[in-house]
Amino acid sequence: MLKNRLFHSLRGYVKAEIKGKYTELFLNRCTEKNIPIWSVKRVDDETISCFFYTKDIKSIRKLMRRTGCRMYFKGRYGFPFFLKKVDARKGFVLGLLFCLFIIFLCSNIIWSIQIKGASPEVEHKVRQALHNVGVKKGAFIFFLPSEQEIQQTVTEQLENVTWMGVKRLGTQYSFDVVEKKIPKEKPALNPRNLVAKKKAVIHKVFVEQGQAKVKEKDYVQKGQILVSGYIGKDENTKVVPAKGKIFGEVWYISEASVPLKTIVVTNTGKAESKHIIQLGKLKIPVWGFNKKGFKEMEIINDEKPIYFLKWKLPIAYIKQTMLEIDNVTRSYTKKEAVKTAIELTKKDLLRKLSEDAEIKGNKILQQKYENGKVNVMIHYQVIEEISKEQPIIQGD
Amino acid sequence: MAKWRDNLKKWLWRKTELPADAFLDLPRITMIGQLHIYIENHKGVLRFSKNELRLSLKHGQQLQVKGEDFVIKTILPEEILLEGKIANVQYIDSI
Repeated sequence: MLKNRLFHSLRGYVKAEIKGKYTELFLNRCTEKNIPIWSVKRVDDETISCFFYTKDIKSIRKLMRRTGCRMYFKGRYGFPFFLKKVDARKGFVLGLLFCLFIIFLCSNIIWSIQIKGASPEVEHKVRQALHNVGVKKGAFIFFLPSEQEIQQTVTEQLENVTWMGVKRLGTQYSFDVVEKKIPKEKPALNPRNLVAKKKAVIHKVFVEQGQAKVKEKDYVQKGQILVSGYIGKDENTKVVPAKGKIFGEVWYISEASVPLKTIVVTNTGKAESKHIIQLGKLKIPVWGFNKKGFKEMEIINDEKPIYFLKWKLPIAYIKQTMLEIDNVTRSYTKKEAVKTAIELTKKDLLRKLSEDAEIKGNKILQQKYENGKVNVMIHYQVIEEISKEQPIIQGD
Repeated sequence: MAKWRDNLKKWLWRKTELPADAFLDLPRITMIGQLHIYIENHKGVLRFSKNELRLSLKHGQQLQVKGEDFVIKTILPEEILLEGKIANVQYIDSI
């Protein structure tokens, strides 16, 4: 029935009343001539109402004469008539379409840019950096790089920005900026001691101000005073801010497990890209049909949705990049595995330590082979700065 | 002559067990509750009103459908779909 109705509307149909003594005869003639009519109703003794296609009007007129009936049109329906109406109101329809187009255009334009958390100076710089990327008022969102890319490039460009969050709400971009806080070195004015941060064996002592309480090869506990702020003897005691650098040997134990066999995924460097327009769930390739991709590949979809007001339209442009990948099995001998384990833990350790730290030596404490893995426990001797400031609170 | 052919058909039908409607030109009537009645193999509309539909069949037989609010949904040669509230369906033999 539904399909029927759709068919009717596509072709255009009319409602008519047929008046005459022999309306039944008219019906029979119609069926004999294969003229489709439907929804026939009795109006009164001499009248029936029915529907038929516009294209059959001529042949029905002929039947009228033969059956002695008269026809009165009551309504016109369907697409062709709709088109006629549209044609009559061309200006209005054009205006409406134009208006929709403008709204559509405006929905895909940046209207405002908000920058939060930045000082005016930094904000200006952020704005400039964004301008360079293309993010400015009136730019088409469609042509802009993705939020991630914006975040990356802008954060890289700006020196005193640690992190920048990019968010888009419809036609508004908002940026959360976290400025780098460069701490100013405060002159050590307050009297203080230097104490040990952790237990260690003292390696070297450099004192600028204060009285050294430890010497090389001393074993210190955490919190033990290394350089005292009290100088002078007995009555001539003075309190000064202790200053200096104390290096100690600290022990670290790292554990690492390295599989003997690993599958490493690498890009071979070959890439192909496809351009696709997405309509709802339907994906229509526009460019690069015959790019079949590779046997093993990584697919990156760069999707650009299109907006109407705040709604995401079911239309999107997708750039699909296919990167060929290669699976390489990397295998280690046990010796090599241990070596990599050491390297790994070393790197890891150095990352955790301060810049002036130095690894003096290492020792393998334990080595185990299990499930194709090498588990190693390594002992590191590290020379690092171990002092920490502790203010001296003077009583009255 | 015509009668002889009819008899032959009837005899063939009994022997072969073919569907009767196609073979003997009889109407096939399908009803869906009181809502729809679908009649195939009719020979034209004799009378149609809100409360009655009368169709002619073969051999001067007539089929009378009575009820309320009748609407002919579709009408094709030999087929008709009627909608409404159907009360009764009756054969009327030629006089």
